[in-house]
Amino acid sequence: MGAFDAPIPYDKAVYIETDTGNKVSRKALIQGASNIVLGGKSIIQTGAILRGDLRRNAPGQHPVITMGRYCTVGENAVLRPPGKMYKGQFTYYPQRIADFVTIGKDAVVEAAQIGSGVDIGEGAVIGQFVIIKDLAVIRPGTVLADATVVSSMSVWEGNPGRLVDTLPETYQETVEASCRSLYQRFRPNA
Amino acid sequence: MSVRYHCSHLADPAPPLPPSYASSSSSFNPLGELYFCEECDAVRCDLCCVSEIASYFCPNCTFDVPSANVRGDKNRCARSCFSCPDCTTPLQVQATGTTEDAGPSAPSGPPFILICPCCRWSSREVALEFEKSAGLALQLQKLLSAKDPAQPEFDALKDHLDTYITSPAPAPTPARSASKHPTRHISHLTQMAAKALHRDVPGMAAAGAVAKSGLRREMKGGGERYGWDELGEYGTKESWRARGLERGDEDVEAMRRLGGIRMGVEPEGSSWYNDGKRRLTNRYPERIPLQTKLTKRCPHPACRHLLIQPDTKSTRFKIKMVAANYLPVVEIGRRRRRIDGGGHGLMSTGSMEEAEVRRKERRRLRGRGEEVDEDMGAPIRPGEVYTFQIAFTNPLYDPIQVRLTQPTAPLPALLPANHLIHIPTRDFIVNPLKDAWSYDDEEEYADMEGTEMGTSEDGSSVLPSSRGTLGPAAGKRSRLSVLATSSGGTLRDKERRKRESEVDKKGNCTKVGVEVEILPGATGEVVFDLEVRFTYRVDDTDGSKPKGAEKETQKGKEEYKHFTFWARVDLGCISP
Ligand SMILES: [Zn+2]
Ligand SMILES: [Zn+2]
Ligand SMILES: [Zn+2]
Ligand SMILES: [Zn+2]
Repeated sequence: MGAFDAPIPYDKAVYIETDTGNKVSRKALIQGASNIVLGGKSIIQTGAILRGDLRRNAPGQHPVITMGRYCTVGENAVLRPPGKMYKGQFTYYPQRIADFVTIGKDAVVEAAQIGSGVDIGEGAVIGQFVIIKDLAVIRPGTVLADATVVSSMSVWEGNPGRLVDTLPETYQETVEASCRSLYQRFRPNA
Repeated sequence: MSVRYHCSHLADPAPPLPPSYASSSSSFNPLGELYFCEECDAVRCDLCCVSEIASYFCPNCTFDVPSANVRGDKNRCARSCFSCPDCTTPLQVQATGTTEDAGPSAPSGPPFILICPCCRWSSREVALEFEKSAGLALQLQKLLSAKDPAQPEFDALKDHLDTYITSPAPAPTPARSASKHPTRHISHLTQMAAKALHRDVPGMAAAGAVAKSGLRREMKGGGERYGWDELGEYGTKESWRARGLERGDEDVEAMRRLGGIRMGVEPEGSSWYNDGKRRLTNRYPERIPLQTKLTKRCPHPACRHLLIQPDTKSTRFKIKMVAANYLPVVEIGRRRRRIDGGGHGLMSTGSMEEAEVRRKERRRLRGRGEEVDEDMGAPIRPGEVYTFQIAFTNPLYDPIQVRLTQPTAPLPALLPANHLIHIPTRDFIVNPLKDAWSYDDEEEYADMEGTEMGTSEDGSSVLPSSRGTLGPAAGKRSRLSVLATSSGGTLRDKERRKRESEVDKKGNCTKVGVEVEILPGATGEVVFDLEVRFTYRVDDTDGSKPKGAEKETQKGKEEYKHFTFWARVDLGCISP
């Protein structure tokens, strides 16, 4: 699969490669970096915003955004932890993102949990406290209302987002291969 | 731009109908959606697979629902999952009352309401409040049954008929009494219907005869009613007359006024209009429909092997026999346009002789750089010649020998062809899939060019015989089998040959060229079928694998198997 996929060159001056193989654009806005955990081999593209500063209203060290391996946060996408009133006080809750997750360009994600092998399309809006289980596709432009639960192997589309299809049994292999391939093709130019 | 694979749907594998037959499209699917039965050695698709429900679950609360409860729950979640009547978004439970332990700013106690996080619809709009935050479905059912007479009435009627439907068909004995409500047993009735449906066409007369003799006898009533059941009389819970729903002539008159050009205009003051309005405002949230996990079986009557068996507890599969693990992935890409293509097209009439002449001309011109790279999405123009690459990616741990041809369709095409296809390299090898641990072998694989029959157009080439040696690490690489053999020669020779045959190999992927000549004045979609026959080695269970430099023996030949499949390539529409 992907025999004709071309390399995706990036400007060496723009991206930093970490020890664990993460490729993070210098032009991405990473706030509260100490509260953000990246699993490795993930790509944070230019213009992406990660709000690690919106931390839980409790003492101690709490990761705000955790992300697994082979994830991609597209250009200008926004990751923001969900928040709500709890016992009379407003507090944020952590955002957990597993492996092989692709977040499309311009998407806004306030989900509480995104499972492995989830593909969020370009410009999608994922509401607060949304839970997306492993292996799901949110098509481009979909708007998921707050607290929506997306079950495994489902496809969502529309505004408001609805379950419109199910995924073929081969989806896990396909999505993992395409995420690996994307990471391998994302290379510095010259 | 797509490549789809053919499923012969239980018929013996045979070339599909040409693309111009619209009916053939239902036999093609993307590779990722196809299954493979090892027992039948055949591709199976969703259309022909036998699906059984392995488990039911609610997509919102993700709880599994025991199949015994599903019918009673009417295939919907019986917990607290509802969808918004306005926008179908799953509703959220919100507390509106205050409790002692929480502050006054945060309501956390009863009454609870349902609220739509998308359009802000609230169950208060239909005067719905709940005492507890869990088990809302049951609470709602109680509330609704008090308000809406139709559902309890239906349930009562269903319960009345249920025992009757599920009880086994009685032996055909003479009716014991003359019931006032004779109804044939339903399963009996469906059997009769099934029989009637399976009758031959000439049997229509017979069906008529049965109807005459059988039905009329039934109509007469009396002592001849075999297989008739007793069914108690059903008493309605509430009369529609009592509710004042009977208007008789008034309704008929209202319907008359609905006709003609006034269709769509609400009859003023009509009860129909008012009823409609009532329904618009009194919409209740619906319980969320359940989803299923499916088990899929091979449809062959003599096989019925499991192809898909989901694990009900996770996203894994206990059995997953998918075509992607057996057939090479076929992809098309790297489009180039021949710059001199247009000139030749002017005199073309599309005859095979002319096509051959032009082909020879192109071959003469080949390698002089008259091709320009084009984007795959760029418009395809009539009268142009394009070259594409077709990539084959091998999912097997053994190399495969591929023969790529155009199939001989069982029927002539319905439309005259709008393009001609030429495949310069029909026979080639695709290297095996490697495990992650064998990436060190990269260099060695790069050397293994096999024996592509670069210019053979008669399709006469067979399995290449083993030549050369595989080196000291032969034991480790024995799984490559003798299919992949070094053709020898100097590196420059190899490169030249590679270029000539337009074979491009990398890892377990081989790319070959295909020429697509769009005929002058052609319109419509460019769709063509490919026949892919591949030869692979079958695992030798007795351990006598051919090793290293051993020559392929007669015995060795028996270890190869062939598989043929058909793929449909759609290049998109021709732009004038
Ligand atoms: Zn089929
Ligand atoms: Zn079978
Ligand atoms: Zn539910
Ligand atoms: Zn709504």
